[in-house]
Amino acid sequence: MTISPQRIDPALGRDPRTSRHGQKPDFLGFGLGLRAQHYADILDGDPPVDWFEIISENYMIPGGQPLRILDRIRERFPVVMHGVSLSIASTSPPDFGYLQMLKDLAQRVEPRWVSDHLCWTGVHGQNLHDLLPIPYTHEALDYVVNRVQLVQDYLGRALVLENASTYVQFRHQDMTEWEFLTELTRRSGCFLLLDINNVYVSAFNHGFDPHEFLEGIPTDRVVQFHMAGHSHMGTHIIDTHDHLVCDDVFDLYRAALKRFGAVSTMVERDDNIPPLDELLAEVQRTREIAAEILSADDRDRAS
Amino acid sequence: MSELERLQAEFQRSILGQNSAVLEHVMDGPREQRDVLFGVYKNGYASRLTEVLRKDHEYLHAYLGDEMFDQMSKLYIAEHPSQQPNLRWFSRELPDLLRTAPPFAEYPEIADLAALERDLNDCFDAPDAPVLAAADFAGIAAERWTDLRFVPHPSARRLDLLTNAADIWLALKSDEAPPDAVRLGSACRLLIWRQDVTPRFRELTDEEAMMWDEAARGLPFGVLCSMLAMHDDPDGAAGRAAGYLQQWVTTDLLAGLS
Ligand SMILES: [Fe+2]
Repeated sequence: MTISPQRIDPALGRDPRTSRHGQKPDFLGFGLGLRAQHYADILDGDPPVDWFEIISENYMIPGGQPLRILDRIRERFPVVMHGVSLSIASTSPPDFGYLQMLKDLAQRVEPRWVSDHLCWTGVHGQNLHDLLPIPYTHEALDYVVNRVQLVQDYLGRALVLENASTYVQFRHQDMTEWEFLTELTRRSGCFLLLDINNVYVSAFNHGFDPHEFLEGIPTDRVVQFHMAGHSHMGTHIIDTHDHLVCDDVFDLYRAALKRFGAVSTMVERDDNIPPLDELLAEVQRTREIAAEILSADDRDRAS
Repeated sequence: MSELERLQAEFQRSILGQNSAVLEHVMDGPREQRDVLFGVYKNGYASRLTEVLRKDHEYLHAYLGDEMFDQMSKLYIAEHPSQQPNLRWFSRELPDLLRTAPPFAEYPEIADLAALERDLNDCFDAPDAPVLAAADFAGIAAERWTDLRFVPHPSARRLDLLTNAADIWLALKSDEAPPDAVRLGSACRLLIWRQDVTPRFRELTDEEAMMWDEAARGLPFGVLCSMLAMHDDPDGAAGRAAGYLQQWVTTDLLAGLS
């Protein structure tokens, strides 16, 4: 299939690293999702983590301990904001109350970037609190591009959007997920967060080659990787974020590093949360794998 | 209506169990039937919201047990679908449902437990404010005291319970067998607030509850003392009022004076 690039931002034509909402953020190193269970260990210790990712909604509250702790953590570590309720692909009107709270939090936190998922979470005033799939059609693409531009204008910054794990595929589709993401980032100026586990999960559930997905994503638009665990049901995989990252996903991470180079990588655990040390060991593993792949890359380039 | 709009409306209806029309628009996976795959969304919806209720109402859950709590969750999810982007606020109407919905309404301690937990949750992340210290009263001239008004800390709230739910909650929290539920002859008057970062509550006497409620309404100290004089021994009223006030100040209950 062919995709006609409509309405490409003129700024993108000049330099693929810039959009009307700014430069591609710098590489941050190896990070971890901030979870309340680890507050004390982080504040009292000196965990070998380069940065933290927060769930934005957890801090979109009036006051109290979470915000105070966040203020202290951001004094010591770079922070990025990751939301779950932007519902960027919803056909309901944007929730400007939510957008304003997100913007206010970003003003307080000064994150390196603000991300959410390519998905919708509900329509008709209802919220299902899930990352629901969209059909990869021209119609949906046009719609989401407009919506991303509107949100970016409101927030005054480029969005970073993540590929979600999906369990069903729609009958009528005009393109693959990676073609959709590529067009979306080119046309809207948003950046991409590749969840390596989600690529793996969706590839298994829908029977595509995860490497083909990676090869289809432009190298200049990816600012972050997520690494997470899942639950294998035999016939399908559910993205539960309650396990260690599995070896297959680490293998796919190696392939992603070879394609995209140094990309800020973060370990994402949302359930069955273990002691901090266990997650630090996973962060260390991403760091070591990246060091190995990226230095081999350098050798290849030098020779 | 666009294709995408139609598809999302059907997808949502199917998640909510109203029909399964969306299955016509989705494909079987390479190893699994589409109804099973779609079931991941459908099952995920209920279990995610039940999980939120369990987190927000830990001791109500302990009191009811899994089966009863899940039955309650199912009812709540059906009656109060989430309409906010932030799950933080999802459980807020639970006490209201439990006051009216059978079979829970027959056991008023259940709604009382939920109300206590809701207030504790609400004061955990209520707005911040500076707290008054004893030193803030030091320079106040004696003749100004009668006109002094007090601003409660934004986390502070009052809750009147008609059962011994507070004792039940405390027992469950300390992992002890809860006392039998009883309806009280006169209300248990709780004051719930956040001290530093920790939600707390304590039971007030009728007199202190009255003084707190009127102070929170903006009545000046002089009027509060007169009310206490009518309530009990008039000669000791000013002293009792000062005693309550001192306790409020030392436990971070007041945010300002005017
Ligand atoms: Fe992710």
